[in-house]
This record gives sequence, C-alpha cells and structure tokens, in this order.
Amino acid sequence: MITLRGLTKRFGATTAVDALTVDIAPGRVTGFLGPNGAGKSTTMRMILGLDRPTAGEALIGGRPYRRLRHPLYEVGALLDATAIHPARSGRAHLLAMARSNGIPARRVDEVLATVGLDDRAAAKPGRTLSLGMGQRLGIAGALLGDPPVLMFDEPVNGLDPDGVRWVRQLMRSLARQGRTVFVSSHLMSEMQLTADQLVVIGRGRLLADAPIGDVVADSTRAVRVRSPHPDGLASLADRLAATGATVEAAGPDELTVNGVTVDRVGDLAYELGVRLHELSPQGASLERAFMELTAGSVEYAGAPGGDDR
Amino acid sequence: MTTPHHARRPAGFGGAVAAEWTKLWSVRGTWWTLLAAVLVTAATAGQLAIYAANANTNDDPADDAGIVTVGSIVTASVELAQYAVLALGLLAITSEFTSRTIRTTLQCTPSRGRVLLAKAVVTAGVTFPLGLLLGGVGALVARPVLGEWGTVPAAGTVRDVVAFAAYLALVGVLALGLGAALRSAVLTLVVLVAALMIVPLSLQEPGITVLTRIADAFPGVAGAHFLAGDGEPYPSVVGLLLLAGWAVAALALGRAALRRRDA
Repeated sequence: MITLRGLTKRFGATTAVDALTVDIAPGRVTGFLGPNGAGKSTTMRMILGLDRPTAGEALIGGRPYRRLRHPLYEVGALLDATAIHPARSGRAHLLAMARSNGIPARRVDEVLATVGLDDRAAAKPGRTLSLGMGQRLGIAGALLGDPPVLMFDEPVNGLDPDGVRWVRQLMRSLARQGRTVFVSSHLMSEMQLTADQLVVIGRGRLLADAPIGDVVADSTRAVRVRSPHPDGLASLADRLAATGATVEAAGPDELTVNGVTVDRVGDLAYELGVRLHELSPQGASLERAFMELTAGSVEYAGAPGGDDR
Repeated sequence: MTTPHHARRPAGFGGAVAAEWTKLWSVRGTWWTLLAAVLVTAATAGQLAIYAANANTNDDPADDAGIVTVGSIVTASVELAQYAVLALGLLAITSEFTSRTIRTTLQCTPSRGRVLLAKAVVTAGVTFPLGLLLGGVGALVARPVLGEWGTVPAAGTVRDVVAFAAYLALVGVLALGLGAALRSAVLTLVVLVAALMIVPLSLQEPGITVLTRIADAFPGVAGAHFLAGDGEPYPSVVGLLLLAGWAVAALALGRAALRRRDA
C-alpha cells in the first residue's frame, strides 16, 4: 500500500505536484497517467524519499521511505533505466544493491534470469547497454528483495514488442500475487491493457482515481456522420451546433459530433432530408478519456498558426 | 505474497559498506587511479631525492642539505601523491551524481549519514593501506638515489610512512565529504587545490605572522606540520587532529547537503 497525503512539491514558483491524496492499493496494477511534465516522476521520487516534499507526505505501509532500514525488502522501484555507472557491469550494479540490504548473491542470478539477461549481457559495462537492456536491469533491481510494493516509471520505454508484452504479463502476475504495483506511463493504450485502476494527473493535480472501466465509461461518446452531400452536411452541422453539440469536420464528407446521442443526430438528418452514408457511435477509448481529462493541463499545448506566448 | 522465498538477513551498516566496496572495485578506473598514485609517488620521491643529492654535490656549499632521511623524502612527496588519492575519495561520490546512480544508492540505503559513513570507511580503508604501499615505494626509490646522502633509521622511517598513510586517508575522506556537498568532481577538485595549496600559500607569502598563523589552520599545512613532525607552531599531533577535524567537518557538510537537497 502506498499512501499519498496532500503530497506537494514546488520548485520555486512552479508547482510540480499539487496536494495529491491517493491510496494505491495492493493486489492490482495501478496505472499512473499524465502528460509529460505532469509530475509523475517527481511524485515517484518523493515516494522513494529522493525528493523532499514541500508539503504533505508519502508513506509505504504507513512509513516514510527514509525510515526504512532495508527498503529493498519493502519496495522495489525502477526509476531511470539509464542510471547505471558507464564502467560498471549490470551484474556488479545488482550485486552492490543486494549487498546493501543483505540479499544473498544468488538472488542476483535469479532476477537476471527472470528478466532475461544472460551472463554475457549482465557482464557488459553500463555504457554499452541499450535502453531496453537498461529497463530489464532496472526491473531486475526492483525485484531483488521480492518486495510487496513495486513502482515502475515508464517501464516499456525502449522495449521491443516482445519486451512490452513481457512487462505487461510481469505487472499482471505481480499484482495477482497480491503486491502493490504502481506503473507510470504516457502510453494510454498500454495502460488499457495492463492497469486495473487509474490515477490520472495533469499539472501536478489529481484528475481521476478510479477503476479503468469507469474512466473510460465517463468519457463522452462521439458520433461519426458521413454524407455524400457537402451542403446537406453543412446544414446538419449548423443545426447540431445550435442544439449545443460540438461538431468537428473530420474530412470533406465527414463530421465528428460530441454531446448528443446517435438517435438525435439521425432524427435531425431526417428532418433536414440529408442523405447519410454512415451514422455510427464511436467506441470510447482510454485515449479519448485521457485527452478529455487532461485537456487544459498539458504543459506545452500546440498553438496552431502562431506563437502561443 | 506474504513470505519472501529467501530468508531475510538484514545487513545493517555492514551492508552499506559491502555495497560501497563492491562499487569501488567493479570499475576499472579504480585500478588506474591506484597505478597513477604509485607512479606519481615514485616519480616525486625520485625527483626529491635527486634534488637532495644534488644540493650536496653542486658547487654552491650554501645549499648543502647534508644527510637526509628517506622518510623525509617520502613525506615531502605527499604534495603530489595526494592528488591521485584525492581522486579516489571524491569520485566515490561525484561519479554517483554524474551517472545518477546516487538514486539507486539512496534507494538501497535511505539514511544519508549511513551512505556517507560507509563511503568514508571504504575510502579510508583503501587509502590508508595504499598510503603504506606508496610510502614503501617512495622509500625504495629514494634510498638508492640518495646514496651516501641518505639514511634509513628504522623507527623514524616507519613513523614517516604511517604518518604519510594517515595523511592520505584523511585527505581522501575530506575529498569525499566535499564531493558530497559540491556534487561536481571539477568543482570539488578546485576547492581542494585551493584549500590544500593556493590559499595557505598566499597567506604565508607576505610573511605576516597573523596570516601565517591562519594558514597553519588549513588542512594541507596542518597535515604538513604533522608529517614533518614539527614542534612549531603546535605539536605535530595537533596537526593530525586539525586535519582530522577538517575531514569530519567535510563529512558533516556532505551529510547535511545530501539530506537537504533532492537527489
């Protein structure tokens, strides 16, 4: 169990993490989603006692990380897959970690086998490791102490499709064993396949903390309309806009409508006598839900057609 | 997941030391630093021995040094030998900031004081025996070069070599503490060169008593008084204590910085 209580981090005038209060429960994969710069990594660093919170606290099993004497038995974490000494082998990196907490050296071989790094790969110096190998090494380090709480910051970055599938299965099986699994990602599609629960933040603020199904269900469903008659489509768009719907031209013969039901769009088209080639509800996806949740909280929003300052 | 499949054998402070030991010897750079220390010491001791012999044999009787001890050559060669040893101390922490492994280190051992103390134990535990080795190397090189102008009094030479090793161990720990506070290897080295050499030399230069007394409190000067076995301006053991005080102060500064600043 990871407990965040009013967790806040300010860097000068910038608030990176803003009063986060969340419980991350055991036995499931909790996805930690947010746009770049939303404060995900800062939050994870505060949980690990690396960054000091400006206010609030982060607790693991009720205790702050800095109070843990042998933390590898309590929490395993992959923060930064590239943080390995350029001249040190992956194996020596893990061995130093193991020794620090009194974990037997044979456990290093076990976790290396678990993450699929063979003797040759484990003997390579840090500077020659690919990002994917670094991720595997980082995951091996997180598993060393067989801890009940695991945190992974963007674990699938740099992995090939096989690696991505492997990480997904690993997260699921760790959660099935009753562990707390907290995974950050900006890949919504990945979270849709992996996570049970979602914690979504934007600009450091909590936007959602709910089962993944609820987050998807809450998002508005769009309706796609296609017609061979541009004029008819235009008048339909005007009528829809007049009733308060949001209308976007998805192409010369296509509209995407939000905020009204499929039935209502069909009725209006009938009234106006517009011939339709398609009228279909669009499946809500986590991607869309995420966009809706984080709209307005993206740090660097694109500003079409000009300088945004 | 309630029972880990291997028994817990909590490691305590010994674990932190074992981790630092493992890290130190798992990078090849450590061996190069040791080799550099041996070569620098041998070259410096050789050169100082040549100077001593020349001073006695050149045409100017005014600079006759007379017969010198091999130990005095060894302790004088610390001026250059220390820079190779400083590298061991400061790299033990600054390389962790450069490669961002400091986060892994603090994840494994969240107590900043414990991490720094473990590094200090390993640094001193390596630099003291290294100092004994370097002292032996310096003596072996200086002895034949000095020839008839050198003596090797047994007790005095042992005392000089042990003092040389103690000086290097303390300076190594001083470098470690400063490195933890300053984080950058280059900045740490600049501050060390200033504190060990430039500032005290500038203070001594004008020959004003009060400035010279201030210089005497600097770690390098205090260490030099200790190495030379001076009785002035304070007993040589005070020089040792002053140097040790600087090392402890640097560790305290490093610990405070590690605790306060984000990793």
